[in-house]
This record gives sequence, structure tokens and C-alpha cells, in this order.
Amino acid sequence: MTRLLKPVLFTLLLLTTYLSEAQTNQTEGVVLYTRRTFWPKITARMTYLSQEQKDRAANTWKNEEGSKEKMKLTFTPTTSLYGYESESSESEDGRYTWRNRELALFRDFANEKQVDIEEMLGKVYVVEDSLRAPSWKIGNQVREIAGHMCINATTTDSVKDQVLTAWFAQDIPVSAGPERICGLPGLILELDINNGDVIIETASITFKPVAADIKLPKVKKPKKLDEKGYETMLKTYIAEQIKEQQNPYWEIRY
Amino acid sequence: MKNRLLVFFFFCLFSSAAFAQTAPTRFTLQATVTDTLGTKLNSVTVMLQTGKDSVLTSFGRTDETGKFSLKGIKRGTYILKITYVGMMPLNQKVNFDTDQTVDLGTIKLKPIAKELYEVVVKAARAPLTIRGDTVEYDTRAFKVPPGSSVEDLLRKLPGVIVDREGNIRAQGQEVKRVTVDGKQFFSDDPKTATKNLQAEAISKVQVFSDKTEKAKLTGVDDGTKEKTMNLELKEEFKKGGFGKITGGAGPASNLPARAEVRGSYNKFDKKQQLSLIGLANNTNQTGLSWADYQDFRGSNSFNWNDNADFGFSSGNYYIIGGGDDESFSIPITGGDRGRGLSDNVAGGANYNYDTKKTKVSSNYYFSQTKLRTESLGEVTNFIPTGDLNTTTASNQTTKNSSHRFSFRLEKQLDTLNTLVFSTSGRYNTSTALLLSTRDIRRILNTATTPTTSNTTVNSRNGQSFGLSNALIYRHKFMKKGRSFAASANYELSSSDGTLDLEARNRFFEATDINDQLRIISQLQSTNSNVSQYKASLLFVEPLSKKFFWESFYNFSLRYDEVDRNVLNTQTDTPTRNDSLSRYYTNTYLYNRLGTSLRYTNKGLNLGIGGAVQQFQINGQYASDQTLPILGRIDRTFTTFVPNMSVNFDLKNNKYLYGGYNVGVQTPTSRQLQPIVDNSNPLFITQGNPDLLPAITHRLNLGFNYFNPGSFTNFYGGVNYGYNINQIVYGQTIDTRTLITSTRPQNITGGYNFGYYSYLSFPLKKTKATLDLGGNLNLGQLITPINGVNNQTNTTNYNANLKLSLTPADWFTFYGSAEVGIGNARYSINTAQNAQTINNSYQADANVKLPGDIYVSSSFNYQIYRNQRFGFNQGIPLWNSAIYRLIGKAKRMEVRLSAYDMLNRNVNVTQYAGQNSVSSERTRTLARYFMFSMTYNMRGIKASVRQSNGWD
Repeated sequence: MTRLLKPVLFTLLLLTTYLSEAQTNQTEGVVLYTRRTFWPKITARMTYLSQEQKDRAANTWKNEEGSKEKMKLTFTPTTSLYGYESESSESEDGRYTWRNRELALFRDFANEKQVDIEEMLGKVYVVEDSLRAPSWKIGNQVREIAGHMCINATTTDSVKDQVLTAWFAQDIPVSAGPERICGLPGLILELDINNGDVIIETASITFKPVAADIKLPKVKKPKKLDEKGYETMLKTYIAEQIKEQQNPYWEIRY
Repeated sequence: MKNRLLVFFFFCLFSSAAFAQTAPTRFTLQATVTDTLGTKLNSVTVMLQTGKDSVLTSFGRTDETGKFSLKGIKRGTYILKITYVGMMPLNQKVNFDTDQTVDLGTIKLKPIAKELYEVVVKAARAPLTIRGDTVEYDTRAFKVPPGSSVEDLLRKLPGVIVDREGNIRAQGQEVKRVTVDGKQFFSDDPKTATKNLQAEAISKVQVFSDKTEKAKLTGVDDGTKEKTMNLELKEEFKKGGFGKITGGAGPASNLPARAEVRGSYNKFDKKQQLSLIGLANNTNQTGLSWADYQDFRGSNSFNWNDNADFGFSSGNYYIIGGGDDESFSIPITGGDRGRGLSDNVAGGANYNYDTKKTKVSSNYYFSQTKLRTESLGEVTNFIPTGDLNTTTASNQTTKNSSHRFSFRLEKQLDTLNTLVFSTSGRYNTSTALLLSTRDIRRILNTATTPTTSNTTVNSRNGQSFGLSNALIYRHKFMKKGRSFAASANYELSSSDGTLDLEARNRFFEATDINDQLRIISQLQSTNSNVSQYKASLLFVEPLSKKFFWESFYNFSLRYDEVDRNVLNTQTDTPTRNDSLSRYYTNTYLYNRLGTSLRYTNKGLNLGIGGAVQQFQINGQYASDQTLPILGRIDRTFTTFVPNMSVNFDLKNNKYLYGGYNVGVQTPTSRQLQPIVDNSNPLFITQGNPDLLPAITHRLNLGFNYFNPGSFTNFYGGVNYGYNINQIVYGQTIDTRTLITSTRPQNITGGYNFGYYSYLSFPLKKTKATLDLGGNLNLGQLITPINGVNNQTNTTNYNANLKLSLTPADWFTFYGSAEVGIGNARYSINTAQNAQTINNSYQADANVKLPGDIYVSSSFNYQIYRNQRFGFNQGIPLWNSAIYRLIGKAKRMEVRLSAYDMLNRNVNVTQYAGQNSVSSERTRTLARYFMFSMTYNMRGIKASVRQSNGWD
């Protein structure tokens, strides 16, 4: 047994050394994510629908795969920028394109600042405030994602009433993550919004110097808000839409 | 770099604990982390969670010497969590109470066993939970074929070995005990559970070391531990069934009692959907609603890629729904109660089986409608020799039955190849009995007797059969965007019908006594067979990321054969009528080759292309198979068809779209057949085998805008169409007998222009919304009347307004008004320019009362007016209902409804166009009351709000 174990340990040690060696370079780079939205699941959350209508939607659209979007996170040890990979999305065969809404979510961990540029509800909003990280609960599951050992952590979003499950890399000591989510001891490589309503998965990670790429785009006629104002606006909109018996998440990020 | 990192981490620590800095006591936690051999570990993740709800309060990493230090910790109990690649995560309870600095000394991390590491590293989709000694496998990540036992599943788990006898070893040790949900499964032998349980029933497999059974019994821990495996059962995997049934009955005015019953049942699990539906009523509900249809067809309600006729892609999808007796699709009526009085029975079964690679759907649907219509109609025709007025009274009973089936298989052969096979069939039988009387008068003639009058008794019997098979193969190449598709299609349609025609025609102006009365007594039998073979090819080549080149080819060969025998039955020995009997064969060959270039970039999508198409018609007809040929048709028609489209996705929810295309419509079999239809002896229809396809040049431009912030929605657009070889029904009116003969023919020069717009915005958000809409249509139609081209210009205006008031959860009101004005001008007789008005006003109120009682009432007033012809009809329609939900789960509803409380309902249509103005009144379902009960297994949700298209 010990004879067997030794080479194993040795390999592990080698691996560990290699990983810790690599770690110095593993704090800057780009993550490309695939964001999949499962609409029938979101539809099922609409309180104004009867069980019959929810089941109907689920049964009719069960073969539909989640609609896919390509997202991009550029990160350094102290800052990160998240948005669409490109200005437009395309059909699977590339023959049809459509415009993506403006989205640039900037996090500055050193100066505890966050600036979000988000096109929604027919306007481009700029939300500026001090950095807010959700309160996380660290789980016991481990999983490998894109060659990195990840641990799960969960939190909740009280505005949209969601459970968020993040998988963060132990060996990438960066607190950044996709969407408006951050604040874990490692880079978030997967985010599951509300038990699979939306799944944001890592497609690839590239480590390279990117500090120069983290720039916020200029916004003409920005509508400025702070975090509180942003949350109030979302809450009001969600409540109004539910009252109008419309799915609010067609027009705001889920 | 490293220093900067550390600074950053400590910074993070402070910032995340910053809110607590005002508290008096602060603690520090420190320790050194090593592996089991004592090697100091660098950059180990250290996290501190609260003991109560395990919320992450601070985190950090070890330095090169394996040391870490977390500062500024508040008093309390915490869980320290240490994780490192390749090591077992460690959880340790830490108390901060008296000592300001807690030093845990050296913490040793144990390596993860190799087998487990491989599970984690190699099986990317396999989340593995490690809690102390327990390792938990999520079975979703390990695929086994359906019907596999737990043993088969265990063989898939890395780190677990199952030998031939079924003995299990996990992480090198023999598994002595297997429990199910923590309990022993029937016997001591661990194999009992693993061999007998189904893998599908297990959600998790946990492996851990436990005290021996003996130690547990005696309570003396001898220190020996044995490997134990626990199987956690799934909560019944997604599976369900639901159903509903509604039944009701009640009295009607001047009619026997009305009743309706409708039920459906669905059963489904992850892969399968089975549904049954049935309905019967005498309340004019002929088909399914969209909701019923979706429940019935499930995952096969909409299949986007089933169009086997490839062509120009405009980038937009379209759905074809509904259908009549000639259609293969299941009839859907959106709550429209139609005209006349109908008794309906329908029912069917649908089964879907869906996996990622194979999708199978099959269904059978039967429907039967017995319809009685009593109509009074009036038509004014404008002809060069003076206008005519025709009044018709008819009484018809029809009974149509149809059986439909369909089967569809979609098979994903691999990631690049897909095959779709579908087949649909129908079998219809119909009988109809029509009694009608017609009187034709010259408008200038003031005499009370008509010029011509007719009474007809037509009795029809028929059956028809149709089959359509399609095979579509799609291939994607490795190069992104390059694709190929091929399809083959075979359609068959056959019908067999007889008409017993008895007509008496009186011509009061006839000078010859023999011409004054004509009696027609005929037995007509018509047998028609149409078979069609189609094939299409499509190839798409990406020229660059933005440019795509698409090419397609279509082939179609249609073969028509019609055999019609007409016997004159006035005398006891029937004689053959050679002028009306026909044997006709025709082949219609169609070839199209097209190509187009598409550009797509950042939401701008453009397409430009063209196709060449050729039609070749070869036909011949005779009085009978054995008789000499009366005529031959031999024509070839070649045309070029351009196509352009634009779709532009603009910022802030604005969309612009438009296009230019040329539509080609081939004549229908009926239009081509050189057959005389004299079932209405005063209006004789004849086919035209010389017909060419009609071509329409179409231009359209539209714009959409939606502002979700202010809930404002706008769309509008224009379209224009110009007709070449339009198929119109030219008329020849016999000046003496006033019999009209009509025959389709090709005419060039007609056009239409349309404008539409719609605006919706809230007067007060969530409380009041206003919708405004309007459209305008201009058209020109050219029809030859007795050899003179009559040009009819029509102008139609429509404006509508809707106010939705939704002030409270218990009350809503909807009011709407629609005004429609149609003007028609006739070049043949400018004095007869006509204006028709169709107005509609509606008010709906819904109230929720205490005790789950709901009341709704709607009032509709329709006005049909044509002043020039003295037509004026107003129809007030008032419906009300009161209903109550019963029980805690609200599965039951009791409803009392009153339909057309004023008993004024009648179906009215009016029309001004071509060379005529017409109006018709048909008796339809009027006042009735109904008491009904509904039971829905999923519960009933009532709302005073009108649905947004979800029902």
C-alpha cells in the first residue's frame, strides 16, 4: 500500500508544485462563458400563471435547449470587467445576427468600487456605488471545471428572489465573477442561477496580461443611479410586470 | 507580484469584515498548513464561516512558509475551512472567546486518494461532495442504459470496483454493508440491494467508514471501522399526470337544449408524453383551442424545421396552424363560433417519445361536424347591359367526418447529421343536402315578377383520402456555417363524389315557350386522383464570417386525373350527358433553381438573390376515356424571380424590416380542370386548363418599437403588391336568361396597397392602458364582365381603440370600439359606387366577489350598414357568467352562463368588390343558458384580468 501510495503522492506533489508555480501568472486573463437561459423554467416562476399554464409551457417546450449567449470576463487581481463577448449574437450556423444590449460590469476590488453600464428598459443606465459582495455560504462539493478544482458556494438575490450557486477555482486567487457576482476566494468559473434557470459555464480561460483592456465604454446621455436606486427600479419593474401578467425577465437580466 | 497579492488578500479580509470594526473585541486566527509529510503548503485557501449559518466572513491564503493569519474576527463560533488542490478539504470548529489570538499550530492536510482525484479531475460533469470521511457521488453524472441495476451503476463510479460475483470494493477496501436511505435493505448481504435495485431510482451514492455492526450493538467502540455504502433514493423522478373535464347543459330559445362536454388527460415522464382529448357539443365549438392543441401535441406542438420546400430564407419563422377538411393538421378554432348551428364530436390520442437523439410523435384525431345553415342573401351585380339583383334563400345540412393521423420521427444520427421523416394521412366523408331558391331581377325593371328564378335540391355524397410523406436530411459540415440539406416528398390525394342535382329554372322573358322552363335532373359522379412527387436541395457556403452564399433547387411533378360522368335522369332510362362529362389528365412539371447572397453583421441582416423557374403543363381532355380527345394543353412558362430582404436590429428595442419578393402561385387542380360545375344552374363555374401561375411582386417595410420602461409599444408598416397573370373569375352573363358563367383566367394589372399601425401605452401603469390601431387598404381588381374589363377600386379604412382598466384585483373593465369603412368604385357603372360600414363596440366587466365567486359580463354591438342599398343591421350580443371555485385546492368550478341574453344573434356578412355588392344573413346560435361544472386535477386559477395570450 505504502509502496503504491508513494508515487501517487509524488505525482500529486509535482502537480501541486506546478500549480503553485503557475499561480503567479494565474491572476490575470480572460474567461469566456456560455450563458444558457431556460425560459420554460423562468415562466414557471410567474405567480400569475396557473399550474396548468406552467405545465403546458414545460411540456410544449421540453425539447428546446436553453438559448445561448457568449459572455466575457476580463480580470486582473484588482479589477474585472464583464460583458458580452461581442456587440452582436448569431444563430448557430452564423447566418443571422442580432444586436446585444449594452453591458459592461466593472469591479475595482482595490478601491472598493463598482460601475455597471447596463442597457435595460429602453435606456442605458450607469450604476455607480461602492463594491458589494453577496454573503456567501461555502459548500462541501468539489468539481473540476476547465482544468481547475472548484468548490461550490451559495448565496441569494433578494431583488429577483433567486438562489445562486457559484463554483470558484481554488487555484485562481481572484475575487471576480460573471454577472454582478463576486467576492469569493477564487475566480468563479460557473454560476447557476436559481437551480438551473440560467447556467453560466466556462468555455475557456486564457491567462495573459489584460490590465489595459479593462476600460469602461463611454455612454452618451447616461441615466445615473446608485445601487439602491437600481434595486428599487428593478423591484418596482418586477412588481409592475407581474401585476400586468407579463414576464419581467424578457426585458431585464435574469 | 506576490507581495501585491498578499496585500490584496489581507485587504479583502479587512474590507469584508469592515462593518464590524466598531465592535470592542477583535480576534486573530493563525496557523501553519502542511501536508502529511510536513511540507509547508503555499497559497492554500483559508475560509472562515460563521458557525450558526456558515456564512463566509473572511478568507485568505497561506504564504511561502505555509502560514496564514486572519484578523479582525468578531466573538463567536466559526468553522475554518481549508482547501488545497489535491488535498482533502478540512473543516474545523474554532471558538473566539477569551484569547485575542488563536493559534492552531500546524494543520496537516491529507491527500485525496488517487482514484477519487481522477473522478474529480477527469469526469468534468461529476460533482463530488466530500464531507470529512464521506464521499458522495451524484448519479446524474454517470450514465447507464435504462433498466440497469445499481451494480452496473457502481461499475461506472471511479474508485469503486465490482467483481464478477458482485462484491464491491471502494477506495481499496471491501464494502461490508449497503444501506438504502440509511436503512438495511432486506438482508445483510450487500449484493441484495445492488443487484435488485434499479439504477434509475438512485440519486446519490455515499461511501464512508462506519463503526462495525457489533460495535453499534454493544456500544463498545473497538476502533474497527468498515466501509459502508449508502444509496439515496430519488424523489420520484419527474413524472406526472393531469386531466380535466367540463360538462354542462341548459335550455335554449327556440331550439332544443344545448349541452357540451370536453375532457383531456395527460401523462408524462422525462421521455414520454401521452395525451387523450375528447369533446362533444351542440354549441358550435368545432375544434380545439390553442391551449387544448398544445396540451394534446405536447413537445410536438411546433416543429420549425419541417418545411421540405427549400427556398429563399428570410430569417423569420412562420407557423401554419388550423386547417379545413382538406388539411392534414388538426383543426384549431380560436373560440370562433362560426355561422349556422353545428353539432360536434371530436377526439384523439397523441404519443411523444423524446430523447436528445430521437424524437418520435404520433397521433390520431377524429372529428365530425353536422352543420345546418339557413341563409338569406342579396347580391347586386353590375354588368354593362344593366344591373341585376339576386336574392337567395338557402337551407343546407352538411355532415363531415374526418380521420387524421400523423407520425414523425426526428433522428439525430450524430452531431452533424439529422433525419426527419414524417407522414400524415386523412380520410374524409361528407354528405350535404342543399335546398335553395333564387330570383334574379333587372334593377331597372319595376315589375314584381323576377326575370329568372330557380329552385334547386342538391344532394351530395363524397369521400376523400390524402397521404403526405416527407423525408428531410440535413448535414452540417465541420466548417461553421456550411450546410447541405435534401428532401423528398410524395403526396397523394384522391376523392370520389356524387351529386344528385334537381333544379327548376324559369325564364320569364323567354319568348319561346320551350325556353321558359328548364328542368335539370342529373346524377354527376366525379373521381379525381392527384399525385405529386417533390424533391429539394439546399447548400449554404460561408464566404466569410459576414457573407453566406445559399443555393437551392426544387423539383415537382404533379399528375392529375379526373373522371367525371354526368347522367341526365329526367327520364326513366338515364342518358349520358357528353357536354358535361369529362376525362382529363394533366402533368404539371415544375423546376426552380435559385441562389442568394446573405450578409449579416451586428444585427443587420440583408439578403439578395434570384431564381429561375419553369412550369411545363401537358394535358388533354375528352368526354370520356374512350372518346376522341377534345383538346390538348401544352405550355411552358419560364420566369425569373428576384428576392430581397432586410432585417435591422437597432438600439433600444427598435427593429426595422422590409423586403421585395415575387410570389408565384400555381393554379389549383380545381381551377385547371375543364369541368363545368352547374350545381347552381344560374351561376355556372368552369375550370381553365390554360391557366398560368399567378405572379405577385411584393414590397413591404415595417418598424417595431418597444419601450419596456414606459410600457409603450408601437409597430407600423406598409406593403404593396402588383399582380401579373392574377387568377380572376371573369363573368359572362347571358342577357336573356341572366345565367352567369364564370371561368378563371389570367389578368395583369391588379394591385393592392396596405398601411397598418398600432400603438399601446399606459395611461397609468398597471391600472389603465390604451391601445390604438389603424389600417388602410387600397386595391384594384380587374375582372372581365361580358368581355369588358371592369376595374373595381376599393378603399378600406379601419380604426380601433381599446381601453383596459385594471384598477384592483377584484375588478376590471375593458372597452373597445372599431370602425370599418369600405368604399368600392366600379368603372363599369360609376353610379353604383358603394360604401359599406362595419362597426363594433364592446364592453367587458369582471368582478371578483368574496368566497371565490366571479362575475363577468360582456356586451357587444355590431353594426352593418350599406346606405346606398338600404342595408342596415345592428346586432346586440350580451353574455354573462357567474362562477365559483370550490375546495381548498380549487380543483372544481361551478358556472352558470347566459349566452346572447337578448336573443338577437345572427351571422351577417357584407361585401363590396369585384363587380358586386352583397350581403347575407345566416341564422346562428342565439340565446341559451348553461350550467356547467369543471374538474381540473391541477387546480383552477381564476382572474378578472384578460389573459395575455397564455390561454
